[in-house]
Amino acid sequence: MGRLIINSVSKKFNNFLALEDVNFEVADGEFVCLLGPSGCGKTTVLRLAAGLEKPDDGFLCLDGKKISGVNKECGFVFQEYALFPWRTVKENIEFGPQVKGKTSLECERISKHYIDLVGLSGFENHYPDELSGGMKQRVGIARAYANDPKLLLMDEPFGALDAQTRNLMQSELLRIWEKEHISVLFVTHSVDEAVYLGDKVVIMSARPGKVKEIFDVKLARPRIRTGPEANIIRDRVLKSLVSEIKIASKPGQ
Amino acid sequence: MKIQPGKKGLIINLLSLVVFALLWQLLVILARKDSFNIPFIRLRDIPTPVETWVALVGSMFIQLHGPGFTYGIVNHVYASLQRVIEGGIIAFIVGVPVGIGVGYSKLIGNLFNPLIEIVRNMPPMAWIPLSIFIFVSGGSIFIVFIGVIFPIILNTVQGVKSTDPRLIDAARTLGASESMIVKKVIIPSAFPSIMTGLRIGLGVGWMAIVAAEMVIRSPVGLGYFIWNMGDLGRYSEMVAGMIVIGVIGYIMNISILLLQRRFIKWGA
Repeated sequence: MGRLIINSVSKKFNNFLALEDVNFEVADGEFVCLLGPSGCGKTTVLRLAAGLEKPDDGFLCLDGKKISGVNKECGFVFQEYALFPWRTVKENIEFGPQVKGKTSLECERISKHYIDLVGLSGFENHYPDELSGGMKQRVGIARAYANDPKLLLMDEPFGALDAQTRNLMQSELLRIWEKEHISVLFVTHSVDEAVYLGDKVVIMSARPGKVKEIFDVKLARPRIRTGPEANIIRDRVLKSLVSEIKIASKPGQ
Repeated sequence: MKIQPGKKGLIINLLSLVVFALLWQLLVILARKDSFNIPFIRLRDIPTPVETWVALVGSMFIQLHGPGFTYGIVNHVYASLQRVIEGGIIAFIVGVPVGIGVGYSKLIGNLFNPLIEIVRNMPPMAWIPLSIFIFVSGGSIFIVFIGVIFPIILNTVQGVKSTDPRLIDAARTLGASESMIVKKVIIPSAFPSIMTGLRIGLGVGWMAIVAAEMVIRSPVGLGYFIWNMGDLGRYSEMVAGMIVIGVIGYIMNISILLLQRRFIKWGA
């Protein structure tokens, strides 16, 4: 399972209305991309789903359970990786199982499984500083998966990577997702990325953050980035987004 | 801070010391021959580096040539170091938890900050008279404690506060409780700062102990040795003692840096 429902959620920071009446759903096993201009509250949606913030209005539920307090059934993948620099690759991945009180033998087994899955064998004992950006994010993904989440929350996870690595990591992520099949809510500001990855693309508008439009991307996987159908969808998504970006980039307010 | 300057760097480092010693020797000798003088300074009375070296070697170990020589410099160093280490350990045990509390909890911070801010502005030396009065023994350890604890507290607070909030979020979403976050995120993240605090603190403590030993007049300790040699007019020994203080302080600093590098394998 892993069905996230976001129901009429509003969130204020001081007097700034960050989100207003946000409604959408991530179905079980679905890959949903959240797309919008910067400052539209995409990250806030993720933080609400993770239980790191509380909504001022409305509610979120995961598998019918209302999210209150930190949601320990989700895995969070951060843009700048947020790896523990004093822990090796293996120790980073074992963090979740460790704090959940698993034995060292179990931790070992779990970390080995996910190190293999994300393709980091041979780098178990490296520190994050010794890894490239793409490898760091592999650790970030493995660390989130190691906690056996029902829902993966990804906050522009490939935003800091160069274009080549980014493409590679997108394919890698899909490969892992197809194997482990848990729901994913993926924040991005790249239309290409959203259309390549998502079963569904949710477009948000800014000030306040609202859901503007939801596109179903019914393309067969594995997808071809430059296929004609993909281009059509990309075009529609882009048109919907461009008007938002124009509004969002106006100064003031 | 650079520890290993490399071969070329090392030669240049040593060069500055050699030039300084030569200049020192030259000035004193010229002054003694009345061919050079600086007004208001009794240059001729300063022991030369050579005399200082001879005095250093001569008083390194226990020698029985006259009053004031109950102990060799080695014994004095040992006594002073012991006080610094004891005071330092107590300061570390008290200072780190206080620093973590103050840095992590607003309430504890608000509670302790006024006290810390006032007391830390009272130099260790200002505590000497009180410590003579209230401590039957170990007053100088207390002076070291005062000198060491504040750099430790302040650096720990700073280390805790500069913990990347995303790491705390990451730990939270991975299921860590507040106490786990302190143990597994805050403390490791603040560790380099804590070590820096210890290093700076021990430097202050080392200076404080010399002053304390001069005033408290414990019969053994480098501060006592210097003061006593000055009283006895043995200026070469006095200067030798001063140089030993500098060298030991330097070695302490380097040792902690090396220790830090050893423990922290992850670059930061």
